[in-house]
Amino acid sequence: MEHKLVIPSTVDGSHELTITAWFKSPGERVQKGKDLVEAVTEKITLYVPAPVNGVLKEILAPPGSKVMVGDVVGIVTETQEDH
Amino acid sequence: MRVCWLDLGLIEYAPAFAIQEQILEAYMAGRWMPTVILQENYAVFTVGRSGSEANILASREGLAHLGIQVLRGNRGGDVTYHAPGQLIVSPLLYLGDVHLNANQYLHRLEDILLQLLHGYGIEAGKKKDYPGVWLEGKKIAAVGIAVRHGFTFHGFSINVDLDLEPFSWINPCGVPHMPVTSLRETLGRGVEMAEIRDRLRDILGQTFALEFEKISLQELTWNTN
Repeated sequence: MEHKLVIPSTVDGSHELTITAWFKSPGERVQKGKDLVEAVTEKITLYVPAPVNGVLKEILAPPGSKVMVGDVVGIVTETQEDH
Repeated sequence: MRVCWLDLGLIEYAPAFAIQEQILEAYMAGRWMPTVILQENYAVFTVGRSGSEANILASREGLAHLGIQVLRGNRGGDVTYHAPGQLIVSPLLYLGDVHLNANQYLHRLEDILLQLLHGYGIEAGKKKDYPGVWLEGKKIAAVGIAVRHGFTFHGFSINVDLDLEPFSWINPCGVPHMPVTSLRETLGRGVEMAEIRDRLRDILGQTFALEFEKISLQELTWNTN
């Protein structure tokens, strides 16, 4: 099952964020709750965790991309054995 | 809300950062309480992940001669300078507990700094698009937070009484020729760091409805199971 990685509303929705780092590459395993992507706005660094245990399928917003709250920045595939 | 007040005193940047990470991890896992960490660092330039070492204008040899470290930090942002006489305050709080989003929380930290300075008769202000606290075009305090799963770390630093010249050897936060000042320069006299800490504790307590419990590093033990 695929899960969208969404920029959370922890930050104000009117501010643009810049993706500054991905801690995993596509194809690598990810662990629920562990930092997966870093985004910055103003003087705020936001760490977005993996939503489930699985594999990072796709990065939709590579470093340098401008994103907003609610944007989907990546896809994580939850694998059967991870249930 | 009961919160630990942990004063690390004068400490190297790297071990202090490791302590902050450990406390945050324990707090997020429900094994520790919200905590405010205070520290002063030995002279160091830190470069954030998105920063450029080109924003350090001085030679590495010259800095080494002066005992100033250059470290690449595991954080966002660009270059910043820390040294004894600059107080760094890092509230580790859950944003849901203080009913703020990250931007509101950041601005609240600036308000706390403005209130602190007002207590010394200094009427500083905010500057649009330039976070931090400013006085006649000079930055006297910096803010910068990180948020992990709704939990905050890092926080703010205030220049109390330190040699400001090393700031001219960098483009602070990537901004060329950014003037900085300190309480000593502004007031023309020194201010006791202990007094600053006490006043900040009161203002933080009032602002976020916190009750502080002082702890030492030695008392920092938690169940790791």
